[in-house]
Amino acid sequence: MARILFAWEFGGDLGHVRRLLPIARELRRLGHEAAFVFRDLALLGAHAGEGFEWFQAPLLRLPPLQNASPLSPSDVLLNLGYADAAGITGALFGWRGLFALWQPDLVVADYAPGALLAARMCVVPTAAVGSGFSLPPTGAPLAAYRDWIRVEPEVLQRLDGRLLATVSKAFQNVHAASPPGAARELFAGDVNLVCSFPELDPFGPREGVEYLGPIADAISGREVAWNTQERPRIFAYLKPRDARFVPLVTALREVAGEALVAAPGLTDAQARELSTDRVRVFAEALNLDAALGSSDLCISHAGPGVASRAILAGVPLALLPMQLEQFLVARRLRSAGAADFISPDDPPPDFAAWLTAIAQRAELREGARALSRAHQGYDFGHAAARAAQRIAQALPA
Amino acid sequence: MARIAFAWELGGEYGHAMACAWLASALQSRGHTIAFMFRELRQLTMLPETAAFDIFQAPRAAREGEVAVSPASYADILLGSGYADAKELTALLVGWRSLLEGWRPDLVVADFAPTALLAARSLDLPRVTFGNGFFVPPPVSALPAFRYDETIAPERIAAADASALASANAALAAVGMPPLARLCDQFDADEHFLCTFPELDHYQNRPASGYWGPRFRLDRGLNIEWPDGQGKRIFVYVKRTLPQLDTLIDYLAATPHRIVAFIPDLEEPRRARLAARRRVVAERPVRLDLLMRQCDLIICHGGEIAAGALLRGVPQLVFPTHYEQYLTARRLEQVGSGVWLSPAAAAGDVAGAIEHVLREPRFPAAARAFARHYAAYSPEEQRRRIIRRMEEILAARGAALPPTGAPPILTPTSTGEEAPR
Repeated sequence: MARILFAWEFGGDLGHVRRLLPIARELRRLGHEAAFVFRDLALLGAHAGEGFEWFQAPLLRLPPLQNASPLSPSDVLLNLGYADAAGITGALFGWRGLFALWQPDLVVADYAPGALLAARMCVVPTAAVGSGFSLPPTGAPLAAYRDWIRVEPEVLQRLDGRLLATVSKAFQNVHAASPPGAARELFAGDVNLVCSFPELDPFGPREGVEYLGPIADAISGREVAWNTQERPRIFAYLKPRDARFVPLVTALREVAGEALVAAPGLTDAQARELSTDRVRVFAEALNLDAALGSSDLCISHAGPGVASRAILAGVPLALLPMQLEQFLVARRLRSAGAADFISPDDPPPDFAAWLTAIAQRAELREGARALSRAHQGYDFGHAAARAAQRIAQALPA
Repeated sequence: MARIAFAWELGGEYGHAMACAWLASALQSRGHTIAFMFRELRQLTMLPETAAFDIFQAPRAAREGEVAVSPASYADILLGSGYADAKELTALLVGWRSLLEGWRPDLVVADFAPTALLAARSLDLPRVTFGNGFFVPPPVSALPAFRYDETIAPERIAAADASALASANAALAAVGMPPLARLCDQFDADEHFLCTFPELDHYQNRPASGYWGPRFRLDRGLNIEWPDGQGKRIFVYVKRTLPQLDTLIDYLAATPHRIVAFIPDLEEPRRARLAARRRVVAERPVRLDLLMRQCDLIICHGGEIAAGALLRGVPQLVFPTHYEQYLTARRLEQVGSGVWLSPAAAAGDVAGAIEHVLREPRFPAAARAFARHYAAYSPEEQRRRIIRRMEEILAARGAALPPTGAPPILTPTSTGEEAPR
């Protein structure tokens, strides 16, 4: 049986871990061994009992100046430390050390260019998984993220070139032959699985990729029942560090018949203080399926996890993306007719008026229901099993 | 021959990587196999000898230091590095255990690596600590305050200790191991290579301990000679983020002093303002042992270079940027060999401080007295003794050894026949 190493190097929040855990469990059920190499191990702490091995992924140093609007996947990596040849060199030492130690037969990379580079050095087959943002179309140069803004191909080419130049330098430093010749090789594996719906894919819909659908382990959040029959019922899943958080919660008191707000990161005391009879704020994750089941509107930052649950429940969305990936997902959902959003650059609107208007738009409700019908019967567990099968098929004979 | 894993978990800059590389390369040339499990790997590109080691990224708390509290004790540092949340610490501990179980060291060398020590303990691996006074807390419960600039309530120290201990024990339980009785038991080791002098120990309140003397390298780097001229010789090694850097540059450029400066990644306009015939601005780290023979002042942030300068009898002006450096600066002040300025000091204070140290004979006098006291101290000999002790521990293979902490400090009387030629 094979040894399969799961690597996650970039991107925050729960999505990557909640995607990789169920796939790893499925592969284990098929008789394989799995280990994790993650940028942030904290979320694994609750799973110590499952007996997986895990390792810290090599970390890069962020550049002192961040480009606030990166143009392309290469540009994003340059912003995440890939402009620093010394940093990449150190990381390649670290990845190579891990590969020698754990001896994987296959690497599953979830936004893990370092793992893909190490797999290239050590000649290990790869599968790339992700929600779409980290699996750009494999053309050259790599496509711009904002296809509605004209960017000269030379600009994109230059970004790919800078990325490849630093990576080549690092390959030289670690005495590795055959550095990648195209930027796509930092994103694509031998097998590429987009774990999302086409309607949520920042590059979607596109030809030639396999849409496995979103994968997330069973919802463990607290189940909370609605107290009243008042409408609209609004479910919000928000980050309290967003400056728009308090104004939004305040607006909900005016707009919502009843509202549940999940805001992990608050203290219990803060959550109590913000709560009213009709707007209850929780400092923890809530069970999404239970809360969304009879909601009229979902407010979120457009993370793919909550968005896909809302779609399946047929609930329209009011979105407040905080970063590029969420912004692109929000645009996709708006063009699918199931959401409206406020861009991170927009001045905050009158939230009460904005939410009231969205809650009254029949075409958004209809759009959300249409999406739900299109994905009727979708099962997160089955998707994980399918992903595991596809990964197992990619194993060397 | 043995497998020896160096673990560096907390802290920054080059000191940890350089000191470990120096010790490890000597161990390797004696036939041992080396792994580096390091919090930062990019420094290794500057240390080509490490290419022969197995390299791993050390587990690291993703939200390290996000809760901005000025730490008062080692427990506070732990709480800011994953120990505030038992689940997160469990994850870090499992990460360390995976590395150690996979690589199977015969000895773990912990350089500011508390969770690596916890993991080694949970796997019953021989282990030693290696670092200056800040990185190895005194073995007392609760772990004591290292601040002496203000009074710290004992309740605060006890609460932080109890909180970190609870997380450590929850994490140990999660991997099926018995709890620690006291947080300081986490630092139990076969030897503490406490690499400092008592006068520079960050903890002024440490019970009697063996001091192995500081670890520093001054014999590497770019070979630069003092420019010709009549002015005082000043070596500058600061970060370009020093708030008073522009003042410092303008002041130095207006004096007849001879300057050798290494300011990593200095922007070109600032470099151009400083560089001149009498003022060399190096692009790479500078070899210091030769320069220090004739140096009147070192301007730096503290750290291991401070001990090296003191041993060469050179006075210092220190700009501490974090707490460890601040404590070093305070100790230098006590020794009488230098002064320090806080990052918040007015720009106008910089020139005054430099002139003060250059003018007052008591600064070089104190530095030279210190250097004379430790004239027999030799980093090479320190390394030789550390290696000998490590090999004793390895040879014992976990059997009981004589009590740890015998004070082998190198003074004129203790070096005896082992004194370096």
